[in-house]
Amino acid sequence: MMRLLLTSLALVLMTACAERQDATPGPSPAADALQSAEKLVFMAGFKPQANLPFVAVYVAQERGYFREEGLDVEIRHAATGEHLKLLMSGDVDVTTAAASSVLKRRADPGLPVVAFALFGQRGQQAYVALESSGMRTPKDWEGKTFGYRTSVPPDYLAMLSANGVDRSKIREVNAGFDVRVLTEGRVDLLAVFKSNEPDTIRRLGFEVLQWSPEDFGVDNIGLTFITREDMVAGSPDRLARFLRATLRAMEDIQADPDGAVSVVMKYAPEEDRDHQRFMLQAEMADAFGPVTGAHGFGWMTDEQWKVLHEQLVQFDALPEFDYRAAYTHTILRAAREDKPRTNTP
Amino acid sequence: MPQREDRGRGARRLVDVAAPVAAVLAVLAVWEIWVRLSGTPVYVVPAPSDIAARLMDRPGHFARHGAVTLAEAAAGFALGCAASVAAATVMAHSRAAERTLYPLALLVKVTPVIAVAPLFVIWFGFGSFPKVLIAALITFFPVLVSAIAGFRSVNSGALDFMRSVSASTVEIFLKLRLPSALPYLFAAFRITVPLAVIGAVVGEWFTGDRGLGSVIIVAHNNIDMPTLFAAIVVLAAIGVALTALTAYAEGRTLFWHESRQAQRR
Repeated sequence: MMRLLLTSLALVLMTACAERQDATPGPSPAADALQSAEKLVFMAGFKPQANLPFVAVYVAQERGYFREEGLDVEIRHAATGEHLKLLMSGDVDVTTAAASSVLKRRADPGLPVVAFALFGQRGQQAYVALESSGMRTPKDWEGKTFGYRTSVPPDYLAMLSANGVDRSKIREVNAGFDVRVLTEGRVDLLAVFKSNEPDTIRRLGFEVLQWSPEDFGVDNIGLTFITREDMVAGSPDRLARFLRATLRAMEDIQADPDGAVSVVMKYAPEEDRDHQRFMLQAEMADAFGPVTGAHGFGWMTDEQWKVLHEQLVQFDALPEFDYRAAYTHTILRAAREDKPRTNTP
Repeated sequence: MPQREDRGRGARRLVDVAAPVAAVLAVLAVWEIWVRLSGTPVYVVPAPSDIAARLMDRPGHFARHGAVTLAEAAAGFALGCAASVAAATVMAHSRAAERTLYPLALLVKVTPVIAVAPLFVIWFGFGSFPKVLIAALITFFPVLVSAIAGFRSVNSGALDFMRSVSASTVEIFLKLRLPSALPYLFAAFRITVPLAVIGAVVGEWFTGDRGLGSVIIVAHNNIDMPTLFAAIVVLAAIGVALTALTAYAEGRTLFWHESRQAQRR
C-alpha cells in the first residue's frame, strides 16, 4: 500500500515537472519583445467586472494591443479603495476613479492626481426605489427613508435643490453596500451604482424605479483614467500608448460587446455573464453623448469639470480650488496623433 | 524596615508605569523623526504630531463617537458574557447539553463576523442593536469555553463535602462552582473586552454615521489619515481603559485567590 502511494506521488511529481518544462520553453520572439517592452501597472479601482475602463484594458491586453504599443501592462485590482494610495506611492501607474473623487482628492488632501480620459459622460450613481413604493418623482421622496453609502452624495443634494424637495422631510441613513436594505424595507430609497445594482435588485425579484441625476437637472460625469502629475510630465508617451491601445479596444467593444463580455469572464470567472453584459451595456450607454459626438471618445470639457466642481462646492463636499489642474487633454491628444477620430456613435 | 519596604514598592510601581510610557514615547519619537526625515506624505503615514493636532482640533467629535462605540462595546460585552455564562452553566451540568450545544457555539465562533455583519443590518436595522450583537458574538465563545472549564474545575474534596451535607445543585453552583470559575472568567474577560470594542467597530463600518468605526471608514474613503489614526488612538485608549477596569475588578473580586496573594508577595 505504502509503495503504491509513493509510486503515485512520484508520478504526480514527475508529471508536474514535465508540465513545468513544457510551460517554460526557450526564449521566443514574443518573449524578447515583452522583455524590451516598457512596464506599466494598471490597477482597476474595484474587483474584476465589466466597468467600461476595466473592460477596455482587459480587451487591449487580450488582443495584444499593449504589446503592439511596446508596453508590458500588469493588471491589478483594488479591493478596499487602496488604489489611490498605491498610485501615489508609485506602485501603480494608472488607475480608475470617479471624476468627483478626483476633485475631492485634489482638494483634500491635495493628491497630485490627474484624469486623462473620461469613460462616463454621465455619473455612475442613481437613486432607486421599489416599484411597489408608488413613488414617481423626487418630490415623493419626502417622508421616506433614504439610504446612502458612507456620506450623503452631493448629486442627491443637488437633485433635491433642483426639484424643490424639502430635505428635512427625508430621513437619511448610512445604509452600507447591501441592496437588500431596500428589498427588505429598511430604506425606501437607495443610492446605487446604476450599471450594476438595479440589475442585482431585479434578479432578487423586485422591479425598481430609477432616478438618474442627469435626468433631473443635475449634470455629472463618471469614471476616468487617472495618473500622477509626475507621470504626465515624465512619461506622457507611455501614457499615450496605453490610452491608444485602450481606445483601440473600445472600438472592439463597440463592434462586439459579447466578445468583450467573454474577455471579462476570463478575469471574473465567478461572475454571472448576463449580469456582466448588463453592466457593460449600461456603461456603454453612458460613455457617449454630445461631447464625444463633437470631440471623440474619452474627451471631457472644461465646462463638465466646472459644473461638477461648482456642484461639489455648493453642497460642501469641496472647498473652492483650481479644479483645472485635475485633468489634462494632452495624453488623449497624443494618443490620437496621426489617427482618425473613432468611436463616435 | 517598613519604610524601606514602602520605598522599594513605590520604586517598583514607578518603574512599572515609567517603562511602558518610555517605550511608547520612544516609538512615537522614532515614528515622528522617520516621517519628517523621509518626507513621507501625510496621506501615506501621518506623523504623531499630525494625529495629536487632529485630536486637539476636534476633541468633541472624537469624544462623541468614542462614547457611542464604548456604549455599544460595553453592552455587547455584557450581553455576550451573560449568554455564555448561562450556556456554560447548562453545559457544565449536563454532558448531553454540552454535546448538543457546543457544536452550535463552535459554529458561532468560526463564522467570520465580517461576513454576517451586513446581514445583521438587514435583519435588525441601522441602530445600535446590530453593533451590540456583533460585539456579543465576538465575546461569546472565549467566555463560554473558560466558564465551562471553570465550573468543572472544582476541588473534588470540597465537592464531596458539599454533597455529603446534602447541598443542593444551586448551593453547590453558587458556593463552589462559581467562585472556582471566577479566575477563568476574568482571564476570558480580559481577552474579550478589547474584542468587544473591535466587534462594535466592525458593526459601525457597515452602517450608521455614529461611532469610531464610521469615523474610520469615512476617513479611509477621504484618505484623511490623521483622522483615521486619531480614531485608532481613541479606540486604543478605550481598549486599554476597559482592560484596566477589568483588571481592577479582578483584583477586587479575587483578593482571596492565591494568584493575587502571590502578586502581593
